[in-house]
Amino acid sequence: MAPDNTSAPSADAHGHAPVGSTEVPGHHAESGGLPQFEFQYWGGQIVWLLVLFAILYVLFARVFVPRFRKVADARAETIAGALDDARRVQAEADAKAEAMKVEIDRARGEARRLVADAQAAAAEQLAGSQAAQDAELAKQIEAAETRIRSMRDGAMSNVKGIAADVASTMVEKLTGKPVTATEARAVQGNA
Amino acid sequence: MAGPMEQFEVRKIVDLPDFTIPGVGVIDMAFTNSTLAMTLAAAAIAGFFALATAKGEVVPGRLQMVGEAAFNYIDNLTTSIIGHEGRKFFPFIFTLFLFVLTMNILGMFLVFTATSQLAVTATLAAMTILLVLIVGFARNGANMYKLFVPAGVPWYMLILVTPIEFISFMLRPVTLALRLFGNMLGGHVAMKVFAGFVVSLGALAAGGGLGLLGIPGAMLSLGGVVALTALEFLVAFLQAFVFAVLACVYLNDVVNLGHHH
Repeated sequence: MAPDNTSAPSADAHGHAPVGSTEVPGHHAESGGLPQFEFQYWGGQIVWLLVLFAILYVLFARVFVPRFRKVADARAETIAGALDDARRVQAEADAKAEAMKVEIDRARGEARRLVADAQAAAAEQLAGSQAAQDAELAKQIEAAETRIRSMRDGAMSNVKGIAADVASTMVEKLTGKPVTATEARAVQGNA
Repeated sequence: MAGPMEQFEVRKIVDLPDFTIPGVGVIDMAFTNSTLAMTLAAAAIAGFFALATAKGEVVPGRLQMVGEAAFNYIDNLTTSIIGHEGRKFFPFIFTLFLFVLTMNILGMFLVFTATSQLAVTATLAAMTILLVLIVGFARNGANMYKLFVPAGVPWYMLILVTPIEFISFMLRPVTLALRLFGNMLGGHVAMKVFAGFVVSLGALAAGGGLGLLGIPGAMLSLGGVVALTALEFLVAFLQAFVFAVLACVYLNDVVNLGHHH
């Protein structure tokens, strides 16, 4: 490689061709130096590059990058939306579960109350029928006792009459005199 | 046999009328193999992204997937280096990356590599540095001097640091241009030289006699060409990536001047 390929003289040496000439420049490389330092083509390459870069830049800045950003935003939005939906549904389910729990608790309480009521009613009924039966029995016992008492009283009064008769008879037999009703009664009272 | 440098020669394909820029001079606007390579690259990029973004589906197809992968790759790069303001510069960085990458890759398939032309890499580097300067002065104004005066450095160190920082800043466009240019030039020269060995040693072997010794050499060279081709594909991507990363880093220096994040 020629040592002077980066220096200005080299550029001058190759720059002899008039700009815009149609000469085929193939032989320049053979004369030494890098083909990249043939400055006659620099201007055209730079301008073309700038134009192409500008076109690409505008395409990217105005069309492609916004499209990508839009897709990325839409994707983020979709994901966020789905997450929100999921969260909302979850909350809804939680609320429903809560409501269900309250309902179940309420039903359980109701059932408990019903059972207690039924038990109370049964106990009351039992107590009521027992009391009625007790009263009936007490009445029957009372009647029986009354009957027994009257029978005993009747028997007792009979015994008194018999005793007065026996006494008057015994007195008559012993004294020979009949006993008056008044005396008999007096004896009775002393007996 | 064509020399290894012939592939870099610019040839006219269609001669177009000259173009005069006042104060600069006459510019030969001929359509050359170099401009053809650039145009093909630009057309390929535009065509690909027009197709990839045409549908814009939330659930992407294959093309859109590839486009989005490239998009996200550079988007993450700009945002991670420049920060949230990287979005503003993303179209520029993305265009730069894709243009350099496509020209590099096309150079692997076609006979001409536009990025092996110093005119091309220097223009891209100059554009980048111009953008850095414009953004820097627009945002920081006179505070741009802080670029060369790092905060928290004692004054006696600044005497040394400031000229170094200044020179390194001035050399940025040069290194930016020469890195890409040198990589593409060197890689393609090496490939061509090894490929030339295969042909010349093969020709030697065809002559018979002692020339048959050329066969192992030719096989070795062929292996070298295969290996270099693989390497060059890596370099083609890597240099485009490096260009984009450095453009981001240089932009970050002026966008976030004074407050490091």
